Amino acid sequence: MSVGLRAASGGAAAADSAAAALPAPWPVRMRDVVVRYPNGVTALDGVSLDLEPGEMVAVVGLSGSGKSSMIRTLNGLVPVTSGTVEVGGHDVTAARGRALRALRGEVGMIFQSFNLAGRASVLQNVLVGRVAHAPTWRTLLGAHTAQDRAVAYEALDRVGMLDRAWHRAAHLSGGQQQRVAIARALAQQPRAVLADEPVASLDPPTAHGVMSDLRRVNRELGITVVVNLHLLDLAREYGTRLIGLRAGQVVYDGAAADASDRVFEDIYGRSIRPDDVLGS
Amino acid sequence: MSAADVAAPVRPGRAGRPAPVPPRRPAGRWKAAAGWAAVLAVTALTLAPGIGVEVDLGAMARNWRNGADKIVALLQPDWSFFPRTVEPLLETLQMAVIATAVAGVVALPLSLWAARTTNPHRALRGTVRAVLNVVRAVPDLLYASVLVAMVGVGALPGILALVLFDVGIVVKLVSEQLEAADTGALEAARAAGGTQLQVNRSVAVPDMMPGFWNQLLYVLELNVRASSVLGLVGAGGMGLLIDAVRSFYRYDQLSLIILEILVVVLVLEAVSSAARRRLT
Amino acid sequence: MTAPAAPAATRPGRGAPPVGAVVPPPRPSRLALRALSAAVVVVVVAAFWSVDISWGRLADLPSEVVRYLWLMFSAPDWSALPEALRQTWRSVAMAWLGTVLGILVATPLSLLAARGHGPAPVRGALRLVFAVIRAVPEIIIAIVILSVTGLTPLTGALALAVNGVGTLGKWGYEAIEGIGRGPVEAVRAAGGSGAHVLRWGVWPEVLPAFGSFWLYRFEINVRSSAVLGLIGVGGIGDMLTSYTQYRQWSTVGVLLIVVVVVTVAIDAASGALRRRIMEGARARAVQP
Repeated sequence: MSVGLRAASGGAAAADSAAAALPAPWPVRMRDVVVRYPNGVTALDGVSLDLEPGEMVAVVGLSGSGKSSMIRTLNGLVPVTSGTVEVGGHDVTAARGRALRALRGEVGMIFQSFNLAGRASVLQNVLVGRVAHAPTWRTLLGAHTAQDRAVAYEALDRVGMLDRAWHRAAHLSGGQQQRVAIARALAQQPRAVLADEPVASLDPPTAHGVMSDLRRVNRELGITVVVNLHLLDLAREYGTRLIGLRAGQVVYDGAAADASDRVFEDIYGRSIRPDDVLGS
Repeated sequence: MSAADVAAPVRPGRAGRPAPVPPRRPAGRWKAAAGWAAVLAVTALTLAPGIGVEVDLGAMARNWRNGADKIVALLQPDWSFFPRTVEPLLETLQMAVIATAVAGVVALPLSLWAARTTNPHRALRGTVRAVLNVVRAVPDLLYASVLVAMVGVGALPGILALVLFDVGIVVKLVSEQLEAADTGALEAARAAGGTQLQVNRSVAVPDMMPGFWNQLLYVLELNVRASSVLGLVGAGGMGLLIDAVRSFYRYDQLSLIILEILVVVLVLEAVSSAARRRLT
Repeated sequence: MTAPAAPAATRPGRGAPPVGAVVPPPRPSRLALRALSAAVVVVVVAAFWSVDISWGRLADLPSEVVRYLWLMFSAPDWSALPEALRQTWRSVAMAWLGTVLGILVATPLSLLAARGHGPAPVRGALRLVFAVIRAVPEIIIAIVILSVTGLTPLTGALALAVNGVGTLGKWGYEAIEGIGRGPVEAVRAAGGSGAHVLRWGVWPEVLPAFGSFWLYRFEINVRSSAVLGLIGVGGIGDMLTSYTQYRQWSTVGVLLIVVVVVTVAIDAASGALRRRIMEGARARAVQP
């Protein structure tokens, strides 16, 4: 059973003392990463980055700036054209088959459109987070171990969705679906969590709720979180570090709190508009 | 405004403005006309004496009395024939149920195999599809007539023929449904480190099941209808009886058989449409 | 690469359940679902158990299949090809004529059967007729019709036409009821009569769908026309039955190849046409 989840249920105060017992969060290292798609579009153009374990990194940029491609290179969903990506010391770019799946099993991912199996129950969706940790025959028969179920229940409890465990995923609201998606990522007992525009499909209050959930994942469990955002106030409020991407290149890298509007204008390559801010 | 203006077919605008000139009709309208002409030409060809469907009005006029007698016989079902129809009717239903069950078991994995989203291997997918395209091209009764030669007279060749036919239909419809579905949840399961088998089982299967049951119900209806005539080639069920009463011109008995098939099919249709409403 | 072992090795251990493990909510009752599944299982098992089949014959099936495939396709008798093509044309002609006749009858009837266009009693009666026709296999319809028209391809065409009225009629009124109220109301607002509404409000809206149904029905009829040969109305099915009866397998092989090739070719052509029709309809709908 996850020591991490147990420590967290003790509250934020216990987080620091329990951190030593948690599975160590993973750093991310990217060197000269280039991603070029078969249609000729260059999504990433020589990105080099070092993300420390336990950081909450906000990646900002306009749509088409390459942030979605970047986050997908970290778990190999998008193959790199050249350069290297290391996550937790493991080379993602060289990993194939079983090795790649084992790596992905340690890295949770959250998507803009939640990506739940709509007709399956909430619990079934969260148990998807256990696939890399379970033998294939168990998944095929749906014979999950009590251990896996307990992990799934705890993950659901952490995002406040335990009472919906038997509901159909499609019957939930957008914010609830994204919470279930976070629970699915947590059920992996991940070393890092990637979130690709997790609140772009949500209304402002719900968006703040989901972002706070992500922050708690980072603070209480100490997990490295990389989150793509296009709204500057969310990036400032929730990120500890800010990476700015424009046209596939890193144009800003610094503390999120210090980033002024000028910085964002620089990243976006244009003046700030009202729809760059979520408000509340 | 002069009298000539008023008499003009298109009344000019007020204050002598010139009549609006419509843009030229887009080219390509001849295509529709050519299409209709082709339809007419082919229809004429199918009716042409010697090469097409021969229409012998004289013979029809001569046979008219004979036909009228048959129609009268049809309107007076021979109810005393009922006991002899019970067993063939039951066999027809048994064949339909067994064939549907077997086809379901075979078609479920094949559907996942034939869809782009659940089977990334182009060659394997192409093979399954090509084979099933050929399987679908042969009508069930032709399968039955060849299978009767192979395994002998009885319900077995009928069931085999139905299974072949059903698998072709179900796999086509369900795999199309899989390809039309949103792929987000599949991506999420892949990001969690699942093998293709695990991804399909934990995400694709729950989402496809309602559609799959729906197609099986549809196929069950088709099977009842089809299995009632498979006996014409010796493959069991009502068809054997139909063949017998047909050769003795007992249209009063044929009428009872038609009524029974009608009742069974309509009842089944009502039940399955009720089940379908529950499914969605 | 050594990564796979490393994450696995450092994965949090499977220790004892944690203190104060969360309690999941009770699973909702699934009595109805269980009852339904049990009923389905009972029906299927009963069917398997009661059917009069010596399942032992299945054991011979693979070797028999191989043997007959060999008989049919190892040395196909191509001398039958010209006659096979001629009979295939008759089957296709039967299918075509059946489709055209079916369309001519079904189209006005489907307009009458659509809610909002035909009178209610007529509507109910037509829908019942469509359902009854669909329930009867076309081969039985052909047996009834042949008492008047004899064992000719025309019988086949008429049987297909009658069966087509059942399916085309149903698809037709469903499509008409599926169009939006907008175009119909526009014609009505401009002072159009019932006939005007059908011609200018309904017809342009449903034409692509109808075209697609017609082609699809033709595909179905091509298959069915081969089957109708079994009762002797002519065409490739007739030829197939006689050669199967005389166990001339090398010829049967050729006939099967012809059936498959022709059916697949017609399906492909008609399918491509259907896609174009439906895409054209969508493109037009998008234009302002």
